[in-house]
Amino acid sequence: MSRARSLKDKLFVFAVAAGFLLAVAPLFHLAVVVFERGIPALVESGLGFFTDGPPSPLSTEVGGIAPAISGSLILLALSLPIVVLIALFASLLTLEFPGNPVSKAVDVAARSFASVPTIVVSMAVYSLVVVPAGRFSALAGAVALVMVSLPYAYTSFSTALRSIPSTYREAAYFIAMKRWTALIRVVIPMAKKQMASGVLMTMARIVGETAAIMFVVGRFRAGIQVLPDQPVDAIPLLIFDYALAPYPVFHKVAWGAALVLLLSYAAVFVATKMLVREVKL
Amino acid sequence: MPSAARHDKLLFFSLVPSAVTLLGMLAAVIVVVLNGSWRSIADFGLDLFSKSVWIPGAERYGLLGPLIGSITSSLIAVAVSLLLSLSFSIFASDILRGRARDLASSLVELMGGMPTVIYALWAAQYLAPALRDFLMAPLHGYLGFIPLFSEEPVTGYSVFTAGVAMGVATVPYVSFLMTEAYSILPSTYREACLGIGASRLETAKILLSLCRPALLASLLLGLARAMGETTIAAMTVGNSMKVTACIIASGYTVPALVASQFGDASLYVYSESALYAASLVILSAALALSFVGLSLLSRWRSRILV
Repeated sequence: MSRARSLKDKLFVFAVAAGFLLAVAPLFHLAVVVFERGIPALVESGLGFFTDGPPSPLSTEVGGIAPAISGSLILLALSLPIVVLIALFASLLTLEFPGNPVSKAVDVAARSFASVPTIVVSMAVYSLVVVPAGRFSALAGAVALVMVSLPYAYTSFSTALRSIPSTYREAAYFIAMKRWTALIRVVIPMAKKQMASGVLMTMARIVGETAAIMFVVGRFRAGIQVLPDQPVDAIPLLIFDYALAPYPVFHKVAWGAALVLLLSYAAVFVATKMLVREVKL
Repeated sequence: MPSAARHDKLLFFSLVPSAVTLLGMLAAVIVVVLNGSWRSIADFGLDLFSKSVWIPGAERYGLLGPLIGSITSSLIAVAVSLLLSLSFSIFASDILRGRARDLASSLVELMGGMPTVIYALWAAQYLAPALRDFLMAPLHGYLGFIPLFSEEPVTGYSVFTAGVAMGVATVPYVSFLMTEAYSILPSTYREACLGIGASRLETAKILLSLCRPALLASLLLGLARAMGETTIAAMTVGNSMKVTACIIASGYTVPALVASQFGDASLYVYSESALYAASLVILSAALALSFVGLSLLSRWRSRILV
């Protein structure tokens, strides 16, 4: 290589490496910052961070985020089974009947749903559920969460199911299995682990979603509330509201909650990775 | 025992309800937005989109500021994520090998699933001040005579900040799409480049030119995503209805406007409807962009994978 050419090549590699570092740097800085600001809040209120209600604006004690944690868990419990079921059946439909107009419509709809801004979903659910019901509720939040996480669950299930070579299904048909039996006995068991990791990532999405539940769950922060038809709070929503509030103690709680959210997301992510690694072996 | 054809039909019809639910939910969202926005568009007409005011008390609404802010900030976001994602994809697929490459793809996946509210919190408290001190203030100081940088950045919250923050948050998504496109190129092209003794730069140039439609599609999909981004925009854009050519001044984006105003909107006559009209614009833009992006992508894929 001529000198100019090799210099150019080196510069290119350098520029690309710099861009790469710049692309992943935010992740590391963000993690460091969340720990740095979140740990003091957690240390200051100890276990109370998970059992107490949030502080009043001028209080000196940090308090806790118990209403948000319980709310997030209720929202997850209400929405995850519905998302998984609808996504599973829809992906089975598009897998088994790919040429059918209904399947084609489902495929397009699921992909378009992914690009609907989540805040628009929140507005729509407000008009469709909250206004007729006359109150904010965990159920309305679950409806919104189902809508925003469906495309992800559908895509990951479809990918998992399609990754099973068709020879296995043909073998199942050959030994006189019906289509449904072949799905239940052969295809789904083979794609099980990948589908489980899809469920986990959907779960992470549901727990981390802010905009979709903004106008529908009611931000109930006065205590722990477990009824599905009553208003609840959620961790991301609390972070959003408290970060925008002008009180320093609220900022502290927001960073503590961000640490809790980050750690639970990281735990789910690691679990996903471990599942998929087993598939490769 | 039912015949095979009947069995198939039964299976089909047992799966249809979930399909109908999915279709129904998308249709419901679109109908609600259309229905909600109709009133304000009918009564305010063009004024709704050509003025920039938000005074619910006097029932005066104009969405120009947030619409411009949305467009500008998401274009900035796409520019940022183009630079970073392209370098990421080239570095991860051409230069990294084995374990390191797996690690890089895990990292980008980790970033992609991260709750956006954490990005928002980080952007509002760290990225905004850093951009103000190291980029916006010098730009204003030296190039303040250009309208783009004419206002002094006081808080650091601006359309530019929101754009950069959303760009950082869309990097994982765009990187994922670009890396996928880059890696499904048949290996014969890569081998051909090796065969003619092309340097890494020349190889990258040739391979990138082959996946140009896919790169464009990734950018369109990234644009669609940035346009709908709410939490990051609401916490970094500065929330001001003023229309200005200056990108380092605070502004608004449509989702940020909705996030801050929809809660009280039911107290006024047209407030809710005006917000629906604003989100109708964003919704149609996002749907159109992702439709074009996805069809570009699938057409490219069927052409390149012969």
